[in-house]
Amino acid sequence: MKRSDAPRYFNRELSWLEFNRRVLEEAEDRTNPLLERLFFYCIYHSNLDEFFMVRVASLHQLLEEEALKPDGAGLTPLQQLEAVRARVRDQKAVCFQLYEGELLPALEREHIRILGCGGLKPAQQKHLDWYFENEVYPVLTPVSIDETRPFPHISGLAVYQAVLLRSAGSPDSGDRLAIVQVPGRMPGLTSLPDRGDMQFCWLSDVIRERLPLLFLGYRILAAGGFRLIRDAQMEFDDEGGEDFMRMLESGLRRRRTGRTILLEYEEGMSTELLGRLQRGLGVEDPALLPVRGPLDPRPLMILADMPGQDALHYRPQPPLQPAVFAEERGVFDILRDGDVLLHHPYDSFGPILEFLQAAAEDPDVLAIKQILYRTSGTDSPLVNSLRRAAEKGKQVTVLIELTARFDEERNISWARDLEEAGAHVLYGVSGLKTHAKATLVVRREPEGVRRYLHLGTGNYNEKTARLYTDFGLLTAADELGRDASGFFNTVTGYSEPPMFNRLVMAPLGLRDAILALIRREADRAAAGQSAWIMAKMNSLVDKRIIDGLYAASSAGVSIRLNVRGICCLRPGVAGLSENIRVVSIVDRYLEHSRAFVFHNGGDTEVFLSSADWMPRNLDRRVELMFPVTQEGPRQRLIEALQVQFEDNQKARELLPDGTYRRVAADGTEPVRAQERLYRLLLAEHDRMRSIPPVRFVPLKRKD
Amino acid sequence: MPDSSSNLLAAIDVGASSIRMDIAEVSPQAELHLLDSLKKAVQLGKDTFTEGYISEESIRATCEALRDFKRIMDTYGVVRYRAVATSAVREASNSDTILDRILLTSGLDVEVIDGSEENRLTYSAVLETLRGGPDLSQGQTLLVEAGGGSADVTMLSNGELQQSGTFPLGSIRLRAGMGAAASHAQEIRLLKAQIANIVTTIRRTLSIQNAVHYVAFGGDVRLAARIAAGCNQEQKVFVLAREKFVEFAESLAKFSVDKLVRQYSLSYLDAETLVPALLTYEALLAQTQASSVIVSSASIRLGVLLDLMPATEKDRMTSLSHQVLSAARSLGKKYQYDEGHAERVREVAELLFDTLKGEAGIQDAQLLYLQVAAILHDIGLFISSRSHHKHSHYLITQSDLFGLRRRELELIGNIARYHRRALPQQSHAPFVALDRDERMMVSKLAAILRVANALDKEHRWKLTDLKVVVEANQVVLVAKNMSDLTMERLALASRSDFFAQVFGKKIVLREGPAGA
Repeated sequence: MKRSDAPRYFNRELSWLEFNRRVLEEAEDRTNPLLERLFFYCIYHSNLDEFFMVRVASLHQLLEEEALKPDGAGLTPLQQLEAVRARVRDQKAVCFQLYEGELLPALEREHIRILGCGGLKPAQQKHLDWYFENEVYPVLTPVSIDETRPFPHISGLAVYQAVLLRSAGSPDSGDRLAIVQVPGRMPGLTSLPDRGDMQFCWLSDVIRERLPLLFLGYRILAAGGFRLIRDAQMEFDDEGGEDFMRMLESGLRRRRTGRTILLEYEEGMSTELLGRLQRGLGVEDPALLPVRGPLDPRPLMILADMPGQDALHYRPQPPLQPAVFAEERGVFDILRDGDVLLHHPYDSFGPILEFLQAAAEDPDVLAIKQILYRTSGTDSPLVNSLRRAAEKGKQVTVLIELTARFDEERNISWARDLEEAGAHVLYGVSGLKTHAKATLVVRREPEGVRRYLHLGTGNYNEKTARLYTDFGLLTAADELGRDASGFFNTVTGYSEPPMFNRLVMAPLGLRDAILALIRREADRAAAGQSAWIMAKMNSLVDKRIIDGLYAASSAGVSIRLNVRGICCLRPGVAGLSENIRVVSIVDRYLEHSRAFVFHNGGDTEVFLSSADWMPRNLDRRVELMFPVTQEGPRQRLIEALQVQFEDNQKARELLPDGTYRRVAADGTEPVRAQERLYRLLLAEHDRMRSIPPVRFVPLKRKD
Repeated sequence: MPDSSSNLLAAIDVGASSIRMDIAEVSPQAELHLLDSLKKAVQLGKDTFTEGYISEESIRATCEALRDFKRIMDTYGVVRYRAVATSAVREASNSDTILDRILLTSGLDVEVIDGSEENRLTYSAVLETLRGGPDLSQGQTLLVEAGGGSADVTMLSNGELQQSGTFPLGSIRLRAGMGAAASHAQEIRLLKAQIANIVTTIRRTLSIQNAVHYVAFGGDVRLAARIAAGCNQEQKVFVLAREKFVEFAESLAKFSVDKLVRQYSLSYLDAETLVPALLTYEALLAQTQASSVIVSSASIRLGVLLDLMPATEKDRMTSLSHQVLSAARSLGKKYQYDEGHAERVREVAELLFDTLKGEAGIQDAQLLYLQVAAILHDIGLFISSRSHHKHSHYLITQSDLFGLRRRELELIGNIARYHRRALPQQSHAPFVALDRDERMMVSKLAAILRVANALDKEHRWKLTDLKVVVEANQVVLVAKNMSDLTMERLALASRSDFFAQVFGKKIVLREGPAGA
């Protein structure tokens, strides 16, 4: 493709939809275990919901404000909206094919059946009657709609049944619309008694079959399910999908606010019924989306969680305890000898818990400071350690980012506990979201005060640490420690930002630092030296950095990017980006780490960061970038990034036209990075274990 | 584990544009290791230099910042600290209020220090940063710190302190005094004119044109060094060529504050003070013969930390005394003192002091006062030979003497005043103004000074000739190799009653065996 043919950047919304399409691909991939495919199928939907609630909502907002300026891809908000809708329609068609044509039959082969209400055995019917009468009926609130009154509130994301009624007594009094919500607090799949097979029935179908019981004295002319997506008025989380977390931890929660962005309805709903619904809700035609298959497939998640189905899941890769931590030494002794790089979830999250626990118990520890962005909540072992430390009279400072969505209520209760224990709790930094992940432990030692540090790319959450790939560095390096003190003094408002030695902090110059690193490579390439950049992140959106990369590519820098999600950079265009290659890995773990490597004329520099290369991260968040300088960790990190560029199973390459294509194995050995990294680590562990520990046993004279 | 909290030190500096704290640790090798460095912008100078007092809002901000600093001190378990406030608080009409409020909210005791104490602290910090750096032992050196409220200027001769002074040339004071200018260029012209005026005053007091070395320190010039040449936090000194410094200062002066903020990612506060400060450094540099600017990372906080270091306290006292005496001699020269007499009196006074200190309730730290009083006791003669001891008191208390605080100068002036004639009396206002302990100290040291002065009546002593023996009821001065002591005895007779009164012992002069 020639430079003049296409805009310099990809549209971020369409790029995100491409990412979600890759998630759906994992559901389609027959080489994946069945229940994992089901899981990806659900994730696809919950991701999409959130995308509509936030990003599509913001396009609506732009339209309303008559902001008509095209984006970097040359698309106006209206064009973007139309393109998004068209692509979603296509994807939903794929979804239905997948669900009906592949997933249900495959489940049936495993003796898991999801039945419609037609084919039930009498005993099962009886069971459902009993269940409906005793469990469901009491919580249902059918609402009959009076057209002279305001339309009742419809909660976003909830599934409803719409019903068209005609009075049996006075058929000429006019038909009316009624709605009933499928209760969100009950399992969306009702399990049915059966010998042998596991059988389920959708709760919405159970209710649908029994609508006459709800509208006595009326004739039901038509009925059908529908679901609204509303503007959630919040920031989009493209790191992993918040719903992902919610599904793992608790049930679904409905959100009640905002204008309607999308009305999904069962395909085949009567025109009359749909018309009344549409009028009542004030939804325009483009926001209608007919759906085949379940309106909300997420109840299927319970199948993925069923016990005893190991064969239908990935082979487990239990996280490994790093070898240095297997020795019987304290964490502080270990860190004094050298830095420890952790690569989760291959490496266990254990060392971080151990670090915090040791800090809480150690009598020489003076202070612990930590930024908690998203934790696993009240029973979090991290929070327990912090509480214990505070109770023991240590200075505990915790900065909690409450704007981390959905977790707010959960955060507040344990934050109060911490305060009561004597910790100093701060609730974020005004105007900025604190996204950096850092823990500082100050310890008094015979040689003087020493600081121990954990810096990471992922949240302090031991549950997601099993599912997200992240890097973390445990270190006692003096310069980093001093910088970390300065960083905490800054975010706690105790001091103006200091001059940092090694840390780089957003929004104070992180973009400039990255640009300078890119430019340095470009200068070296221009001077005829070998120059390359290797970087991994979740999203690449920032135009100034993309321009910097284009310039570096033109100067001859070889650039390899591993961008899991949105990538607005257009690779492989002659005269613009011919030296840039972009891959994306979507596999069993959610790729989440951010790591940047610069060749620097052979004196290779490696950085980890909490920040993606997005304006949001660089301008409106408190983020950190830090170097990994010790030889061992640095080498391991570079190798880990290399392996991902060798992936030819789960890696997709971004093409100049914005589509992605699987990287072909081409007869070479198949490499699946998320498996290979684990196997490499396992081999290293075995090697370490096979070396017998040296024991010094003094030989004594025999008497 | 031994309690190491005494190795942890904090130095707090309440300045004109910011409040800062350095926390450091003394390593087993007796080196300072900086642990934490905090800075909170509070515009105390802006208040004081425009309104004359510190606003409620700034008082609150100050208290809040110091309360936070205290929290960080507690994090490390720091108990040994010193908090000092400089011109912005010193010159504020409500300085007592702010100090009290700070004490109440943070528990921190902030001490207002005067210009010469500020000089002493920064001077010792500068020496520390220059250790192993550029050689200043030859020729004259000009040390300049342009702070927010004032510029401290010190001259060294062959590495020894010569003169110093504090001048109203701070960047915030300059900004506050400028008012609204029509354009940026005009603003810079006004600024330069103001600076030029004060530089003329400085030239009258200090011979800055002789300087061949130029050492600049302070937050603004360090920031400039960072911008101009990428000097980092770790570097203690950084050398910039004279032309480069001038060129850089002039190029920054063309930028508006907004432009500085954007161009160099500075805070508004830093950007506002940067140009006035650089122009001050530049104007002083222009007066010297120096070919480069040595930017030192010294700060008043480093000086405070050095003071707080336990192990080297004694060494530093000695070196400090050395500098103070050197400054006292410069002052003596200014008033055309009799150097030989002054030094002989000092030597005898030292001898008496050393002999007596064990039993007479006088302490080592007071020796310096006696020494300075001995050097300067006769400078009043410069004004008139009548009542010259009173003129000495006046000149001493009105001078800026490096390393000595106002109160200390008052003590020394009193000691010098009583080197002859009347003894302290209730009607002597300057004496009565001292507290009881101070009055006792002044009396004892003055009594020693009187005796030392009497002994040099004939100006013919050498210290090696004298030995002091303390007996039960008398102090015996044994003079070797001396035959006729009539004149000295006579002088002593009229000057030793005060000694007897204060120490309860007579002074007796006795010939010693020849050659013993």
